[in-house]
Amino acid sequence: MNSGRVVITGIGLFCGSGRNLAEFGEALMNSTCGIGPLDLFDVSAFPARIGCQVRGYDPLDYFDRRTAAKLSRADQFGLIAAGEALNESGVAGCCSPYDMGISMGAGAGGMFQAEQWLRSRLAGEAASPLLLRGMLPDKTATEIAARFNLAGYQGSVTTACSSSATAIGWGAELVAAGHQKVVLAGGSDALSLLTFAGFNALRVVDPEPCSPFSLGRQGITLGEGAAFLVLEDEEHARRRGANIHGAVLGYALAGEGFHMTAPEPGGVTAARVMREAMERSGVTPDEVGWINAHGTGTPLNDVVESNAVKLVFGDRAPLVPLVSTKAMTGHCLGAAAAVEAVATLIALQRRIIPPTLNFRGRDPECDLEYCHEGPRPCDSRVALSNSFAFGGNITSLVLSL
Amino acid sequence: MISPATDIVITGLGTVTAAGGGVEPLLELLRSGGTALTPVPPEVAGGEGYCWGKAHGFRATDYLPPLKARKMDRCSQFGVAAAGMALKDAGIVPREMDPQRIGIALGCGFGGVANSAEFLTGYFSGGVEGLSPMLFPNTVPNASASNVSIEYGLKGPNVTLVQRFCSAESAFLMACRFIAEGRADVMLTGGADELLPLMIEGFAATGQVRRHASCFGEGSSILVLESAHHAARRGAGARGAVLSVATIGMLVAGREEEGVERLLARSAAEASLISIGGTVRETPLLGDRLHGRRTIDTAGCLGRSLAMGGTAMAALLASLEPEETGLHLAASPEGPYYAIRFRGDASVHP
Repeated sequence: MNSGRVVITGIGLFCGSGRNLAEFGEALMNSTCGIGPLDLFDVSAFPARIGCQVRGYDPLDYFDRRTAAKLSRADQFGLIAAGEALNESGVAGCCSPYDMGISMGAGAGGMFQAEQWLRSRLAGEAASPLLLRGMLPDKTATEIAARFNLAGYQGSVTTACSSSATAIGWGAELVAAGHQKVVLAGGSDALSLLTFAGFNALRVVDPEPCSPFSLGRQGITLGEGAAFLVLEDEEHARRRGANIHGAVLGYALAGEGFHMTAPEPGGVTAARVMREAMERSGVTPDEVGWINAHGTGTPLNDVVESNAVKLVFGDRAPLVPLVSTKAMTGHCLGAAAAVEAVATLIALQRRIIPPTLNFRGRDPECDLEYCHEGPRPCDSRVALSNSFAFGGNITSLVLSL
Repeated sequence: MISPATDIVITGLGTVTAAGGGVEPLLELLRSGGTALTPVPPEVAGGEGYCWGKAHGFRATDYLPPLKARKMDRCSQFGVAAAGMALKDAGIVPREMDPQRIGIALGCGFGGVANSAEFLTGYFSGGVEGLSPMLFPNTVPNASASNVSIEYGLKGPNVTLVQRFCSAESAFLMACRFIAEGRADVMLTGGADELLPLMIEGFAATGQVRRHASCFGEGSSILVLESAHHAARRGAGARGAVLSVATIGMLVAGREEEGVERLLARSAAEASLISIGGTVRETPLLGDRLHGRRTIDTAGCLGRSLAMGGTAMAALLASLEPEETGLHLAASPEGPYYAIRFRGDASVHP
């Protein structure tokens, strides 16, 4: 059992709002929204035609042709972000490969390629079997482990939109328990017709860039990308002179056991998960400066999450800004929480609370502080990051400097 | 990594497989040396001679009201049926205990694929008008675990994992940790998988039906894990106890022996019965250790799937004599690898 904190010694990110940590940090500090027209597949038949796509992405900028052909879009994003995180941490060679693991959250995985195979099959056309190779979302972790020689724990959490939050919390737990010296934790996901058409069919996609907590919001905007954190025991990190970006203090998770798509209206389980996450982290509500919300921009989610925050923070709730960086990055599904963890860490380091972009007007049912007006300074060293998912899977992470 | 588990017992088992519903048909099949595999139609597999372990006899309405069953994908139906059996076997009525203290960690490899294929086929065939919103929620791999939690009112930790042929074992490790950390008193764990003709076509296209995907199967097996203290307090009998869970992600070239040593330590030598999951037999350093040992190989008679480790573990636990030590070994072609040690308990259910 390790006694120290689980610290973050490397960060990597690749998404529609930035293709590396520096670009993403700049976009966050400048409040730049990455949402724009989609051209990955034909969206002309849908009312919403936008997203936070990694536009103009050419795999050959990162991989040779043969390697790229074997990897799904999600695999490629994951490898790029994992590479940045591991390179930045300098952890390679610091311990046995069997003491270094990977815990990642995944979503649609290689569905973008697999659906092309299905379309061709239905049309009676020949299709490359390579399109199916990365269909299952666990392939990304296997690829990353093989590429970077991570021979310890290898696992993929697949709880839709909360996947990478649980993966990060679980990765930190493996380090805290002394089971692994280093865990690369995060998530990767790519846009696909399945998810785009699916959320459109449910009528929860906003035709305009999503505007979480705003009056008149109509739903989510989809995004894609990958983000990873290198987690290790603080003593191990300090002994090797690693740069420490922050810490994962703890997490909690639960299932609402209520409905496949609708959240529990009162937000009771979400509130319980936030409380438990803080308790397990040794943090009191007074120490939490702000919350990176799940904040999808659907009418229901944003009200329920606001209510849950009121249950947890009581009279202090209006003083704990609940902000959604999804208005900048889109909803990256299986990678969403990992991208948001990176945004949270950058904001903690820069001593700001990031804004919730795309404000359209104040919703009387969302009556907390959402930083619609812009970023604000913050001295707090601790923030929560919430993730809710289809099926009622809720996870809350506690991150700190 | 090795995670010792000194305070976790298994108090219930439930299975749905090609052998039928319940552990007994599974054990009977294993004892008889028979098979539940049936031929795959040649037009599906692209040739003659392939088999699959389809749960042809499964009817969701034997376990669920028809209206509820209709809202679930087949993989969720498997999970809900197996979970119901396991809870009954454990003597647990979830709504009579604190729902926050009971959760689920499920391995699921192919959950959601059927709904995804049907949903997309609607779009490719009929455009936007062909989309069926009802199908979309159950396209996610966590649909099975979520439907279990909704059906039985579980409000504790809830997670779904997939990692090659070790998906159920990955979930098992997490479930053990959740009990050890005090996040739950009871965790349902195991696996659920669905097999459909389109998947066999896909395996055929990628050349997998001649390799690891030969004789694929489907179904769900759920184990009820419980802290020994909690089980004792409610006077529950135990089918067995968890001794340890070890895993490595892959075998490093040139350091394979070290990896296998970390995985097995002395556990293979100590075990008098070994169940096999995934591609253990095809992994030289693991397969070699099985010579002359008593083994249970559920894949041979039920088919193999990503999350069928739950079935292998259920069969092992149901076969162990009191105080006998058993080992569940699982492997995937590119990793990970698992070694889970159990002890058959003296206080077995009547």
